[in-house]
Amino acid sequence: MADEQKPAPPKPPAGAAKAPPPPAVMAATPWEGELPSVLREQFGGAILECSTYLGQPFIRVTPGTVVPILDFLKFEMEFDYLVDVTAVDYPKREERFDLVYIVYSFARNERIRVVTRIQDGFRPESAVCVHLTANWLEREVYDMFGIEFANHPDLRRILMPDDWQGHPLRKDYNILQMDQRWVQENLGIESGQ
Amino acid sequence: MADKTFLDSTELVLNMGPQHPSTHGVLRVILKLDGEKIMGTDCVIGYLHRGVEKIAENRTYAMFAPYVDRMDYVAAVSNGLGYCLAVEKLLSVEAPPRAQVTRVILTELNRIASHLLWLGTHALDIGATTPLFYVMREREEILNIFEKYCGARLTTHAFRIGGLQYELYEGFEEDTLRFCDWFLPRVDEYEELLTENRIWVDRLKGVGILDAEDCKAYGVTGPVLRAAGVEWDLRRAQPYSGYEQYEFKIPTGQNGDTYDRYLVRMEEMRQSVRIIRQAVERIEPGPIMAKVPKVIKPPVGEVYVSIEAPKGELGYFIVSDGSTQPYRVRVRPPSFVNLQALDKMARGGLFADIVAIIGTFDIVLGEIDR
Amino acid sequence: MRKFFRTVFLVDLIQGLWLTFRYQHPKNIYTEEYPAVRPKVAERYRGAPRLNTNPETGETLCIACNLCALACPENLIVVTSERNEQTKRKELTTFTYDTSRCMFCGLCEDACPVDALELTQDFELASYSREGQIWDRQMLEEGPRPAKYKF
Repeated sequence: MADEQKPAPPKPPAGAAKAPPPPAVMAATPWEGELPSVLREQFGGAILECSTYLGQPFIRVTPGTVVPILDFLKFEMEFDYLVDVTAVDYPKREERFDLVYIVYSFARNERIRVVTRIQDGFRPESAVCVHLTANWLEREVYDMFGIEFANHPDLRRILMPDDWQGHPLRKDYNILQMDQRWVQENLGIESGQ
Repeated sequence: MADKTFLDSTELVLNMGPQHPSTHGVLRVILKLDGEKIMGTDCVIGYLHRGVEKIAENRTYAMFAPYVDRMDYVAAVSNGLGYCLAVEKLLSVEAPPRAQVTRVILTELNRIASHLLWLGTHALDIGATTPLFYVMREREEILNIFEKYCGARLTTHAFRIGGLQYELYEGFEEDTLRFCDWFLPRVDEYEELLTENRIWVDRLKGVGILDAEDCKAYGVTGPVLRAAGVEWDLRRAQPYSGYEQYEFKIPTGQNGDTYDRYLVRMEEMRQSVRIIRQAVERIEPGPIMAKVPKVIKPPVGEVYVSIEAPKGELGYFIVSDGSTQPYRVRVRPPSFVNLQALDKMARGGLFADIVAIIGTFDIVLGEIDR
Repeated sequence: MRKFFRTVFLVDLIQGLWLTFRYQHPKNIYTEEYPAVRPKVAERYRGAPRLNTNPETGETLCIACNLCALACPENLIVVTSERNEQTKRKELTTFTYDTSRCMFCGLCEDACPVDALELTQDFELASYSREGQIWDRQMLEEGPRPAKYKF
């Protein structure tokens, strides 16, 4: 699969430093079909992109419309099973986190990813009112990334101890440093890592 | 208030701690009891959290495969299969037919091994101590086959990205078929021990009912969903690795209680034997590894691939940024999502039922905590 | 009526007990008496590592290509070599393998192009100290020493 490059920036004058190459993007192809057109009709400009990659369709939406879209998908289009809620951290981007919801429909046997980009500090709406599964899945996203969900019934850490500082899966969380710090504070010796 | 003492309160908070023989690992359940009745539960997990997803960001694709086995350590081969399928999808390669058939055989053997261990420990929790020894004997035979094939019994690292590393050893087909012939009467023996037994029926029937609506709402998959009456199996709905060629029945239950889940898993073991027999006939000579570059560098993109692990839907969401190390690997563990429904199932039941309910979910803490 | 008799005379419980009783026959004993009897492990078992040597000349087969160290997920193999001026090839000087962090995944064995590094069938790897777990070239070339138990 060839990488699609964004159009190269204009060449700087000779003698200046060479501009860094633009980051490669996913070679996604636009997704046409009944579902994207119904979604575009219903939500209009909130749907920023409908594409598919390797046969797996996904839509990119604005952060505020995720829960209404999940609600619409569940009640109108029969996507009644929330498979996963997860996040990806791109620290160099302005909108740091990529929040991903994967939904599946038993009746249609199809899976869709709903992706949205949010900033550090933004509090997205919790999907628990639509899908009950989202309870622990969002707790894990909060624990690992620090994304707080508004109106979540019980938002606390799930995998790390309750009084842990820091969010492990962020890219600026250095495991070795944290390990040394914890061992120094609690055991008073040098960590052997 | 001055008159009320602690003897007046009717609610008792009991801690079923992480070290407990019945919690199948380090699971802590905080129970609110009113006498013997359960008013509410709260699970505390994370005692086995090893940070596998963070490790993945610092290892290359091929190096990460042994770590994946350690998550669901009871069914390690399935974990490896899911991961290899996900990376192969990113690379857009497909394993050759001989590799696919071998993968199916090993995965189904793994499913039998996982269900056997479930049966042994679940029966032990309820009080029946005999099945544990019998299932260990069966598991020995399966683990011997794994050992002869790839060199390890539990953390197998059996599959590589693009196919298999090891050629099938001499006598693999005979061993497998001999195991199948020897194993089927054993399933009947377990049924003879347990299915009609009045103690078993009384302990399991009507306990922990989760109907189809609740299953879908909580995202529960695997035998728990099938026992609720929904005939859905990822091997049938979205086949991978050649599963569309095999004929097998998807067992379902009616009530969604613990007894139905027991029957569903017993039937699944029989159906796995059926699949193995069909697969052994399809082994044909050929290459075992597809053309995969020495250094695996998938193009930029993200993919989600899921398989039907013995516990439910095991999914891998891999984000690649074009380098040799994955940018993000997310594992969607079936036991993690299934365990959320514990509260719904346990409320209103008796305290002795909690043990049966935790056992029937077939959770593995390595998978929940990663 | 039949159900009544089944319930009163404990037929279902006796059925299960009869199965257990059948297994009391001595031919159904599955216990392996370890450590008196060492179990036979498979040929491909991934146990203790060993550096192979050429049987005739006694020289090591390792060409110091460092592929095993690059393949290891835990980075626990350290290979040092020096360049031999006469043959213009690298020669192995030290080879360190840390078995305390090894997960016996077999990636180093797969990566070795000359079959010098091999995982043997030895699974008794206990030692009395942490330093004893770090194996150097001499220990690796000697190979596994299965423990012999005396009663």
